[in-house]
Amino acid sequence: MAEKYAVRNVRLCTKDCLCLYVCPTGATDTENSIIDVSKCIGCGDCADACPSGAISMVPFEYPPQQSKTETVISAMKSLLRSKSEQESIAAGLPGKLAKAIEKSNRIMAEDIIREAGFMLPQSQNTINFLKSLLDKDLEGLPRESVEKLIKALGQKKEEKPMEEDKTNVNLMKAFAGEAQANRKYIAYAQKAEQEGKLNAAKLFKAAADAETSHALMQFEVAGKIGSTADNLKDAIAGETYEYMEMYPEFVEEAKAAGNKAALRAFTFAMKAEEVHAKLYKEALESLDHTEEVFYYRCPVCGNIEKYIPEKCSICGVPGEKFIKY
Amino acid sequence: MAKYVCSICGFVYDEDVGIPESGIEPGTAWEDLPEDWTCPLCGAAKSDFEKQGEPAGPEEEEPVAAIDHPMDVQEMTFLEMSALCTNLARGCEKQYKPEESALFNELAEYFKKISPPAKDPSFDRLIALVDKDIEEGFPNAKAVATEVRDRGALRALTWSERVTRMLKSHLNRYKKEGDAMVENTDVHVCTICGFIYIGDKLPDVCPVCKVPNWKFEKIEGR
Repeated sequence: MAEKYAVRNVRLCTKDCLCLYVCPTGATDTENSIIDVSKCIGCGDCADACPSGAISMVPFEYPPQQSKTETVISAMKSLLRSKSEQESIAAGLPGKLAKAIEKSNRIMAEDIIREAGFMLPQSQNTINFLKSLLDKDLEGLPRESVEKLIKALGQKKEEKPMEEDKTNVNLMKAFAGEAQANRKYIAYAQKAEQEGKLNAAKLFKAAADAETSHALMQFEVAGKIGSTADNLKDAIAGETYEYMEMYPEFVEEAKAAGNKAALRAFTFAMKAEEVHAKLYKEALESLDHTEEVFYYRCPVCGNIEKYIPEKCSICGVPGEKFIKY
Repeated sequence: MAKYVCSICGFVYDEDVGIPESGIEPGTAWEDLPEDWTCPLCGAAKSDFEKQGEPAGPEEEEPVAAIDHPMDVQEMTFLEMSALCTNLARGCEKQYKPEESALFNELAEYFKKISPPAKDPSFDRLIALVDKDIEEGFPNAKAVATEVRDRGALRALTWSERVTRMLKSHLNRYKKEGDAMVENTDVHVCTICGFIYIGDKLPDVCPVCKVPNWKFEKIEGR
């Protein structure tokens, strides 16, 4: 987990926008200029790049505050008492100067008590002070606010939402690994069958199904399964990215490398994903239609049609090979 | 010729140089400056200056030995708790925690409200407390903090001691001049160290803590 996160001081920000260029996750690109903590990975690139010094890296956990000796605390508290008394006297006097003196003494009192062991809002001293308020019989004390502060400031590391985020990242990593293992074992099982190693083929198939159930459980726990309409939208986005951005690049690179087999695999997939995206869109638009629709899949390139074609429009396989759904 | 140093902000008056931009010719002796002349940087009185190189005033002498504090400071007063809460609110603000900051300010307001008003408030009582701070409170706290090398406490003490001296200077003037002293002029307070500036043209940075002057707050009212 990142130990720090970036914050922007909006008052210092001069909209040089270098943070937008360097941020690897887009955390700085927000409407209200407040950096998105959930996206920030704590790399510090934005703070380094900012020419106006408006971004700083703030730790999730502050180091313990400097310890204070009893003698210092006692001397500071004695001054605090005097400053506080002066604030109170000035508050009872008329005029602009008295008002300024009241304010001045409050600021000195704050600074003095800060150096008497109350520097950090998260310190044990602060938490103890807040807890002691709840034990006192104080009429009209906003107890709820005190409780909120104790909860927010006394928070332990394990309770932070960041930890949950990390677990979510782990769930998706595991999902990716299990999903890949499933396809790999299916490929191995086919190979084993071709070689006549039927027992090994069986084990690969069983293991492939086991990995599928792992992947499905992890995907669900990560909260990635929405309503069918949402899932269709997600599918459209995924397929569109693949045929618009990912595969065109792969195709070019395979061409440049002269790898014909890869070029063929990428081209088939690219064209099929485009069809998939189109079909998902149609399905989303007609989600409430009840009349039954049939789909036919090309077993070679993955093309899907809503009728049996004479031959596959992508790879040319005869229509009789298509599989009905 | 001699130089004189402002004990509040460190401004140096050099008799050789004078302050030509304010009509004080080079070569003007310290004694020839009018008695109501004030420090051009922070507004401190002429009496707050010390001759450079001369043995420092009594407050700059060897630190006074730390004395025990008989005063019971275990229980804080409500107004002290209020100051503690506004301090913590500032701490939260610095950490970009606006919700927590607002909650501490709410608590500070509560404690201020239930704090009993001062009995028989008077400027004389203020002067007496300021004098006591300068004579006892600060020298003692500085001695204790020096002894244990508490840099943080020494920093806070240096600032608030200077602010307190300036306060003394203002209070003495007010005793003589009364409300006329602030009648047609602005009064500003530095929100970082508490320094009070009386005058229409703010210095660029606070003479005590050196924060830029946009951190000053103008006191409204008469």
